[in-house]
Formats: sequence, C-alpha cells, structure tokens
Amino acid sequence: MYLLKKTQEIPIVNLDVILSNLEELNVMSAVYVKCDGDLHMGALLYLPENKSKILASQLLGRSIHNESEGLTMSSISEIGNILAASITNAISQDTGYKICSSVPGYAVEFFRTLLEAVVSDFGNEFDTLVVSHVEFHGVTSDITIHMLLLQNPSEIKKFMM
Amino acid sequence: MKRVIEIKMGGLEIITDKECELKTFVGSCVAICLFDLTSHVASMAHVMLPQKSDGLQSLAQKDIGKYADEALSYMINGMIQKGADPKKIKAKMAGGAAIFEHESETSLFNVGHRNIVYLKKILKENGIPLVSEDTGENFGRWVRFNLQSGALTVASNLKKFEKTI
Repeated sequence: MYLLKKTQEIPIVNLDVILSNLEELNVMSAVYVKCDGDLHMGALLYLPENKSKILASQLLGRSIHNESEGLTMSSISEIGNILAASITNAISQDTGYKICSSVPGYAVEFFRTLLEAVVSDFGNEFDTLVVSHVEFHGVTSDITIHMLLLQNPSEIKKFMM
Repeated sequence: MKRVIEIKMGGLEIITDKECELKTFVGSCVAICLFDLTSHVASMAHVMLPQKSDGLQSLAQKDIGKYADEALSYMINGMIQKGADPKKIKAKMAGGAAIFEHESETSLFNVGHRNIVYLKKILKENGIPLVSEDTGENFGRWVRFNLQSGALTVASNLKKFEKTI
C-alpha cells in the first residue's frame, strides 16, 4: 500500500519545514538514488534503523546481528534500488525519457543529516526544491518506508510537456 | 546567558557581540568560521557547495552562505566593515562528511570533500590561516562558535561525542 502524502516547493534555506519532531530521536537507515539523463531526480528512502533490521532479516530469511551490518546495508540498498527503479521505469514508460539511476548510497544517521546531504548534493542551480513525500506501508509486516522525491522546479515542467 | 544565533542551510551571520554564539548543523555541508578575537568580530557560514554553476552572483541575502566563494568574500568584507583587522582574521571549520556509503568503489556523492578542498583553496588565496578543523568522516555535526574564547565546539548525537577545536 502506498500514499503520496504531500508535494511542496520548499526554499533550500527553509528545509526545517520537513524535519519532523522525531528527527533527533530516531536513527534512520536510508538509501539515496540519484537519477540523471533526460530527467534529474533524487530519491531518498528511509525508515527507522531498528525496523530496517527487521525488514532485512525478512528478506534474508534469517535474523540480523551486529556482525551482519554489511548484509543489512546490501538488502536495504536493494529495496531502495527496486523502489526507485520502479518509479523511474514508470516515468520513462509514460514520457519516453531516458533515465539512468546511480548505484544506491546507504547511510545510517539522523534524518536531519540525511536531508542535508541529499539537498547539498542536489541544489546547485535553484534556491528551491520540489519535494514529494511518499509512504509505502507493508500490510503484513506493518513496516513503513518513507520516500522523498526531490527535483529542481525546472524538472517538474518536463512532466507537463 | 548567551544568545545563540542558529544558521540555517546556506545561511551566514556576522557578529560583534561577545555574548553571542553562532550555531549550525552540518553533514556534507561545511560550517566555516572566520574570527578576529582582538576586534571581537566573527562570522559563520553554512556552505553547501563550492561554486555556483552559472557563475552569476546571488542576489538573495538569506542564502549568501550557500556557495563557498561567495560566502567567504561576503564574510571577509563584512567583517572588515565591522572593524576586523584583515591580517588578524583566522579560520576554523567542521563538516564535509561523506554521509552515503556505496558498495561500488567510486563515490558519486563527494560534495563534502569538494567543499573542504575548495574552502582551503580560497582561504589560502586570501592569506587566512586555518587554525583547526574537524572534517570528513561519515556523520553529521552540531557546530557552535564562541566569540569570547574563539572555541569551536563540535558534537555528534549519533557518535555521542563533543569536542572543542
């Protein structure tokens, strides 16, 4: 089950509006995929680190211990890759744009750090970013994965052509 | 009690009040701090990127700290206007982390490292000594500058440390 929660154009200097109150309480596992080609887009997927270990153990079919950090990273990166690729494939099929995705980047950090890293990687030309927040909810696992799709305002216009 | 001025992403502040502290949070961005302790003038910028790609100067004052080249130029001129002696200006910086790790060998997201390299280059060109730094690694940092002591306090909630540089 998925839900597009909100799309908003946010000034880069004012990103605090998407920092939740929990941002310094929950450490997140995150995957960042950058898309280039006819369309430039960033996809940041994140979920609380403890939930990511549950998800990784379900994927791998065995429990995840501290010594298996590499396996957690690989499996969560894989999920990020699949979800981001599903979106870019859908966009590509609908628009005919050629889109290339990067190797997924993985991080475990507070949300503020993740957001700052992604925005600084992204925001060269414009003072604002268009950010869409999507939630993916596993009905049986009860795990929610959040995805932020980031684009420069000029890229959004490409959807209207 | 000290007044704390929080600097947002791409922001910049110049202070002359010794009772003020400058504070920001950086991941791959860099908190660059210039100060002249004898004239009691300090400035901090939250630098996101080395240079603007289109080469045009920013008109907006609110994100004047966004690009390293523009930020340093604005900081130096602004500090001199407020009484700083250009020969006594020193620098400290923190941040520039590589937050995302890749399984491939090449990192596409090396903006933190590029920010550090570029800032050092501009500081050198302007003859400003970098007296201390806490840069690189893979975690976010809270950064606080105290004009009275010249101390830059760096803390990570994730790594659970606080140090003064």
